[in-house]
Amino acid sequence: MPRDYQAEKEKCKTFLQEFYKDDQFGKKHFKYGTQLTNIAHREQVALYIDLDDLAEEDPELVDAICENTRRYTALFADAVQELLPQYKEKDVVHKDSLDVYIEHRLMMEQRGRDPNETRDPHNQYPPELMRRFELYFKAPSSAKARVVRDVKADSIGKLVTVRGIVTRVTEVKPMMVVATYTCDQCGAETYQPIQSPTFMPLIMCPSKECQTKRSGGRLYLQTRGSKFVKFQELKIQEHSDQVPVGNIPRCMTVYVRGENTRLAQPGDHISITGIFLPMLRTGFRQVVQGLLSETYMEAHRIVKMNKTEDDELGTEELSEEELRQITEEDFYEKLAASIAPEIYGHEDVKKALLLLLVGGVDHSPRGMKIRGNINICLMGDPGVAKSQLLSYIDRLAPRSQYTTGRGSSGVGLTAAVMKDQVTGEMTLEGGALVLADQGVCCIDEFDKMMDSDRTAIHEVMEQQTISIAKAGIMTTLNARCSILAAANPAYGRYNPKKSIEQNIQLPAALLSRFDVLWLIQDKPDRENDLRLAQHITYVHQHSKQPPSQFQSLDMKLMRRYIMMCKRKQPAIPESLADYLTAAYVEMRKEARTNKDTTFTSARTLLSILRLSTALARLRLEDVVEKEDVNEAMRLMEMSKDSLLGDKGQTTRTQRPADVIFATIREMVPEKGARSVKYSEAEQRCVSKGFTPAQFEAALEEYEELNVWLVNQARTKITFV
Amino acid sequence: MLLSGGVTCPPDTGDWISEPLRCVQRLYEISEALPGWEEKVIDFFQEKIQEKQSCWVPSLNDVPLHYLKPNSLVRFRCMVQDMFDPEYYMGVYETLDHSNNARALHLGKYRDVADCTPQQEVDINSSRTVTSERQTFYCVPVPGESSWVKEIYSSFSQARVSPSTSYIPNRHKRSYDEDEHSSSPTEQRIDVSGANIPKRQEIESQKKLQEMATASSAPLNLNFPLPEEKGPACLVKVYENWDSFKVNDLLEVYGVLSVEPILSTLNEDRDLLCAWLDPADSMDTLEEQRVHSPPTSLVPRIHAIIVQKLHHINPLIPNSVCETDESKQCMASFMAELSCTRSELLDFCTHVMLGDSLAAEYLIFHLISTVYARRDVLPLGKFALNLSGCPRNGIFTQQLYRVVQQLVPASHYLPMTIENMNRLRFIPQKDYTANRLLSGILQLSSHTSLLVDETLLEQGQLDTMGVRNVTALGNVITWQKVDYDFSYHQMEFPCNINVLITSEGRSLLPSDCQVSLKPELMPPDIEQYMGALLTAVLPSLLNKFRIYLSLLRLMDYSISEDVTKSVEDDFVDMRRDDPQSISADDLHRQLLVARLLSLSSGHRSLSRETWFKAKELESQRKNRLQDQKHFSGNEL
Repeated sequence: MPRDYQAEKEKCKTFLQEFYKDDQFGKKHFKYGTQLTNIAHREQVALYIDLDDLAEEDPELVDAICENTRRYTALFADAVQELLPQYKEKDVVHKDSLDVYIEHRLMMEQRGRDPNETRDPHNQYPPELMRRFELYFKAPSSAKARVVRDVKADSIGKLVTVRGIVTRVTEVKPMMVVATYTCDQCGAETYQPIQSPTFMPLIMCPSKECQTKRSGGRLYLQTRGSKFVKFQELKIQEHSDQVPVGNIPRCMTVYVRGENTRLAQPGDHISITGIFLPMLRTGFRQVVQGLLSETYMEAHRIVKMNKTEDDELGTEELSEEELRQITEEDFYEKLAASIAPEIYGHEDVKKALLLLLVGGVDHSPRGMKIRGNINICLMGDPGVAKSQLLSYIDRLAPRSQYTTGRGSSGVGLTAAVMKDQVTGEMTLEGGALVLADQGVCCIDEFDKMMDSDRTAIHEVMEQQTISIAKAGIMTTLNARCSILAAANPAYGRYNPKKSIEQNIQLPAALLSRFDVLWLIQDKPDRENDLRLAQHITYVHQHSKQPPSQFQSLDMKLMRRYIMMCKRKQPAIPESLADYLTAAYVEMRKEARTNKDTTFTSARTLLSILRLSTALARLRLEDVVEKEDVNEAMRLMEMSKDSLLGDKGQTTRTQRPADVIFATIREMVPEKGARSVKYSEAEQRCVSKGFTPAQFEAALEEYEELNVWLVNQARTKITFV
Repeated sequence: MLLSGGVTCPPDTGDWISEPLRCVQRLYEISEALPGWEEKVIDFFQEKIQEKQSCWVPSLNDVPLHYLKPNSLVRFRCMVQDMFDPEYYMGVYETLDHSNNARALHLGKYRDVADCTPQQEVDINSSRTVTSERQTFYCVPVPGESSWVKEIYSSFSQARVSPSTSYIPNRHKRSYDEDEHSSSPTEQRIDVSGANIPKRQEIESQKKLQEMATASSAPLNLNFPLPEEKGPACLVKVYENWDSFKVNDLLEVYGVLSVEPILSTLNEDRDLLCAWLDPADSMDTLEEQRVHSPPTSLVPRIHAIIVQKLHHINPLIPNSVCETDESKQCMASFMAELSCTRSELLDFCTHVMLGDSLAAEYLIFHLISTVYARRDVLPLGKFALNLSGCPRNGIFTQQLYRVVQQLVPASHYLPMTIENMNRLRFIPQKDYTANRLLSGILQLSSHTSLLVDETLLEQGQLDTMGVRNVTALGNVITWQKVDYDFSYHQMEFPCNINVLITSEGRSLLPSDCQVSLKPELMPPDIEQYMGALLTAVLPSLLNKFRIYLSLLRLMDYSISEDVTKSVEDDFVDMRRDDPQSISADDLHRQLLVARLLSLSSGHRSLSRETWFKAKELESQRKNRLQDQKHFSGNEL
């Protein structure tokens, strides 16, 4: 059934005139009416019609528009043109020569001529010429953005939205929309609307006067009287994640006119709403192209997108389903185990890495900046999957840089001043650490780095900035990144009898800047070995991952969850401050007595704070709880234990129960009752890396030996 | 294209080769343009090709382009190098005859240019036009294809060439020397047959000469992955399920050859003019046009009717193993003499390895290894071999390559000099001005052997490019993937390349397995020695080797439950006795060696004996590395 476009145009008119929304004062706000006034006063050029608004009034019309957009663009434009005089409230100052021309033409039309006289269409003013506004559609929000690949021949003529990355833009050029000619004989003006990229100029004057006289009037193109629009052409390419494996990303040509030009640069991620159209070729080209027809997209609306947040991670919040999947009972273990699932074991290392990804909260009390980013150094014998852990984190982190110590110099890591070959200007080029700002910088083979290069990192690790004073450029760049380093022991294997500095040959100043130092060792253990062997043979047998108790989380989901966690800014409540100080004092004391190979300094306390805030973030809470602090201290303790490594094996094996006993005995006050509070004792032991179960077992054991007594209410431990 | 009265040709008289378009039209008319006629066309050609007549179809790989008749059926063995954007074409179009206003419908499929007489004109606005979509692939000959593969393929078609088609017999006499002086044979050709083909050839050859003259100023980069490659590149237009093809896939294409000169880039002057007048065209830069519509004489178009994915390019074994009776037979006969072949091959490789039988074993393992699965990101089954202790001057490696080339269907020799690392492009890169993927050395098809010669490496400075290249090479070895550079982002393309590194000491590149070469004999002239070795091998035996190496890759393999159990126990025991002796990586490698050892002796599952034999081999190899270390340590 052919549509009655005249009726459709009336619909458009009513919509433009009558559409309103209630504003906050309950008044009617005529969204398009005000815009029409602006246009009439030449204060606005582009009019975007939100199809969502239209859908409220007339859903059928929206469908029709989406199917046959070009026709409706013209209809709407005509409607606007006819409405404009009604909205004109004051005289408008002419802005450019075209305005003057238009006014003159309107006056000419009103004057003198007989309205009934039929005129040659060429001498009539084409509507495009008189129009000083642009009309665009905004796709309904229900329409999903498509992939370039999915826009096929069936979308021709329809309004589609695609996403992509801009790979090329042309300069903005004027494009002729209406050519105006004047005749050298009769002086009559002739107009020629131009739709295709090329046109054949008119030569002979078609006016009645010249025709009857046979004067053979020649037409001359009038540049000033013609109408031009800004024109730009874009090429967009699919995103890498939209391309099937093993395929080359597809491209699409986009024509941009008028107000939409100059909105995108190469490299921008954009979403374009437009009409997908076949390209019209004329003349020689058409012959050459033969049976081919090229396509392009006529842009209606261009929106620049932020790649890291909107696109890669998906704009939508995590759904209920996904949140449920993550926030199950053992979500902390589950998340940690999902890091590098192909690497077997090392649960605590993975937990620490998870906290590194989430990061602690930045503090800046009175201008002093205390970083929240967690730095971790993994040490270990060769071949214990340090590099795999690093490269997994590199892949998982939304923003990360991966370098090896051997391959990078201090300049490569921080920033370099480069001299431009052509202009001789100095420019700053960011190195890996600057590029990893707000992300993770993974440095493999940290020990292989030259000492002089390594010092460049000191500033980054504590101050999170890089200062440059070179070749006349003095600046400070942000490098708010977490550093994940991996190092091999100096003598091939870690020697637990020596200190860390000796083992790794890194200066103490640098080592203390790492929140967590972890030694991954390859220790034989029958049960573990068997599980490892089963794991590997399974892979070789079935060429897939063995079915495990848990399904490792999808990388994208992890990323989104981590992003969500990062938005939280948990604070440490006053009540925990005492607890923290007590724990810190205890750690200092222990460090003195034990001749520890690691340091316990004020930085350690900060590290615990960072780890606990990260844990709170992970739970999506706003307040740090005692458990977070305990877990943070447990992790610190475990990392210290890993450094002590073989000590337990080579010397006397200390059973956990013995250690717990010793710990509790130390807590006994020198004077007064020889008793210790149960809860305090438990906390102390847990902070030392023991589980409550171990604590219980130790209590029972020593109670049987009649060393101490636990009262009925289990609140007090009294030594006999 | 209108079938003027009487010229109805039954499709089975061989004209399906010389006039495939006519067959298509006929089939279209028979099925009365009902939906499904397209499948009929494919079935028809499929049937023809299956009837062992595929050898009658001239192949672009061995017949020079200007001997081929335009719009005839050709085949092409190639690799997909790049994928262009899809094209919309008129699947059915209507013409209007100016002389009598007659309208007629034509088929637009499998052709580039509308078929019109001077009086006719295509009616673009006809409502009967059917627009369809097709995909263009830029295809290049298989990179690094060994010469024996080419020879055997061309001998297939030579042996059963059709005597009725006049242009084919002539080509064999000249196909060897025509490249050097292309004009003289064509002139002779005109005298021999007065058909209408020579005219075209004449025009073509003139055109070619012209192009050569212009080419000297700006040579068209045909974009081969390997720099020294020769052969025609082709734009293959695919009409059906193009989504199933990927970049770097090997294809055998049967299609209609189109060399319409009008498709070539337009005259540059005119182009400039067009760009001036026509703002729409300014976007398609000259480079882009040059790349996307290169001269048809250099880059012909093939409208593919049938596209087959090739699993390998070894001409000695059928494409699909275990499907037809023929291939089953072939398999059975091969299995029968497998152990014999293996010992012969081992013997041969031992000689190649200068008398080192352990290195020879590992070389065979390397040659039959293939990525059989990917677990997450980790590829399984890859076996990059580092042959350390090679003589310094590189002659050994070059000669080794000569031998490898004779054994595998595709290979490439990469001298790893500082200059090469800094200068060559390893990673394919998207060129946005020309809108195409610039190829790089690492854009290789599956199962290609890459021989990296590290003995040539000197001290020196690697620049940015060099560092990227070394990283890329490392990625190929460890992850079997190449990150193609799309300038705004990188895209990961999985690959399956066998990398063999020869070096003096341990290679700077990672490898799955390092074998230190222990030559038993040191011939004064390695070149002569290897030459003698190669000539001493009977061609029939050489062919057996080739079948052996290619076929073993395609065999499947399994490990039974109880062997798994014993392997696990074995591992735990070894760890208990000496924790340093074996790590998880060692177990991985050991299982891989066991797999390759079983396969190489024709066993499809792991037996306990093979497991212990693999362990034995591994400990031999490790001991040797230990010795090497001690030895060099003493020297220092």
